[in-house]
Amino acid sequence: MADYKEAPLASRPKTLDPNEYFNLSLEYRRAEEERSAIRSNLKLQYQTQLNNPHRKALIEDPALNRWMYARSHTYPHFKTTFKTSLTGLLFGVVPVVVLYYLFKTDRDKKEVDIKAGKYDRRFSLTS
Amino acid sequence: MLKILIPTLMLIPTAWFAPPKWLWPLTLMGSLLIAVTSFSWFKSTSEVGWTTLNSYMATDPLSTPLLALTCWLLPLMILASQHHTHNEPLNRQRTYLTLLISLQFFLILAFSATELIMFYVMFEATLLPTLMIITRWGNQAERLNAGMYFLFYTLASSLPLLVALLILQNTSGTLSLLTLQYMSPMSLTTHADKLWWVGCLLAFLVKMPLYGVHLWLPKAHVEAPIAGSMILAAVLLKLGGFGMMRMMLVLEPLTKEMLYPFIVFALWGIVMAGSICLRQTDLKSLIAYSSVSHMGLVVAGILVQTPWGFAGALILMIAHGLTSSALFCLANTNYERIHSRSILLARGLHMVLPLMATWWFFASMANLALPPLPNLMGELMIITSLIGWSYWTLALTGTGMLITASYSMYMFITTQRGPLPNHLVALDPSHTREHLIMALHLLPLILLILNPQLISGWVN
Repeated sequence: MADYKEAPLASRPKTLDPNEYFNLSLEYRRAEEERSAIRSNLKLQYQTQLNNPHRKALIEDPALNRWMYARSHTYPHFKTTFKTSLTGLLFGVVPVVVLYYLFKTDRDKKEVDIKAGKYDRRFSLTS
Repeated sequence: MLKILIPTLMLIPTAWFAPPKWLWPLTLMGSLLIAVTSFSWFKSTSEVGWTTLNSYMATDPLSTPLLALTCWLLPLMILASQHHTHNEPLNRQRTYLTLLISLQFFLILAFSATELIMFYVMFEATLLPTLMIITRWGNQAERLNAGMYFLFYTLASSLPLLVALLILQNTSGTLSLLTLQYMSPMSLTTHADKLWWVGCLLAFLVKMPLYGVHLWLPKAHVEAPIAGSMILAAVLLKLGGFGMMRMMLVLEPLTKEMLYPFIVFALWGIVMAGSICLRQTDLKSLIAYSSVSHMGLVVAGILVQTPWGFAGALILMIAHGLTSSALFCLANTNYERIHSRSILLARGLHMVLPLMATWWFFASMANLALPPLPNLMGELMIITSLIGWSYWTLALTGTGMLITASYSMYMFITTQRGPLPNHLVALDPSHTREHLIMALHLLPLILLILNPQLISGWVN
């Protein structure tokens, strides 16, 4: 166990954390036992529903429902912070301005070239 | 024209007087017969471009493909709605069918209108049955919000159109497309004229939708029942494109200067809407944002006003109509089985429903513009005409096509490949009805590979 080194992008699994076995306080142990009890209860409910022979519907996962609700109702919970304003500017305002400037200057240059007779569009009839 | 209109109108009494067992087969056969008869519009031999001309309506190579698409879609909508309405009381089913048929009637009148005011009135008239379909038969509580957004976005943006059309009538004396096409360009120099230009196009840009004003579309598409989603994605969005193509006739010299902001939004919208698709968890929402992305390309193609741009826009509109409607039907087959639109809940389906996986494959490949399908042909023509407009557009349209390919593949791989969830135990096998809907969507698309002149407008 002393030789275990974490992979660059993976965190250390709980069972290999030395703090799990040494230096544990009583509150930590009690909290860990409570969490384990909740997890077992959830697994029991899932297994009961999974093995019920009369079940025809899907097993409802409240966590999935909460996640889907959160993903689809972002606008009412939107908060104006520095980061969100920066994102809005960067993706909503800056591209529009930059593209407008880009297209306008490109087209104006083309217009100048056409008026000076230097732009070859002899065969460009339908496109 | 009357041989299509009167049977469509008569489908409404059919829906009300049919005996209960024969309600859906009768309306289905009626609408199929109308759809097949509507193909007679493709045979146009006139030199002026307008066929089946009477005082109020006519068809031309621009409106004929859209009319055929509208007529083709009604039997598909009736087939798709059969399952989710079968538990409802009979009169409610009859009302639902009446709404679909009246929507078809208004759409035929809108696409074949020769007077711009008639087009406007029918454009507004299509809002009402769609609103009723979304708010009454949608499945979640958010359908009311969706209906509000849909109605008010479209209504508020089309009021300037009414004013603009009246101004046009005052200055040029006519609003008939037959004479407006020969009008000499007006002198549009003042700021008021620029506002008039925006007023003419705003309604159609919101309907298309353009990226900045697209907020109503994901809501309306997601909350609508299957027939509502189909008609919205396939035809109602194209009403906007069709309106833009007609209005471009009179907006002549001003468009060169005024179009920059709108084309920038359209092109940036392709990239942004495509990127949002990659983050969607709701299947219908993914298909809705994909519609925004494709329509951005159509808007850009129409705004550059070249023959290839128009032809590409029309081809892409028809191909996207069929593809998007097919994808919504596939999402509905998922929804009818697991009553959830989440992508994550119905994965690995190709092991369970292999034939439906074939249809998923075709529809996803059509969505990502696989050659030789007309989706690609339309996109290529638009991109080519955009490059002719300015070389820099290639950065956006190229990135857009890349992102389109990635989210279409993402949708296909997530729903079909991968592990099947453990708790999926009772999935209905694929019904023949579902296979029929998918075949009727994708068969025209494949046949159009062989004869794309039908949908390419005036380019021949």
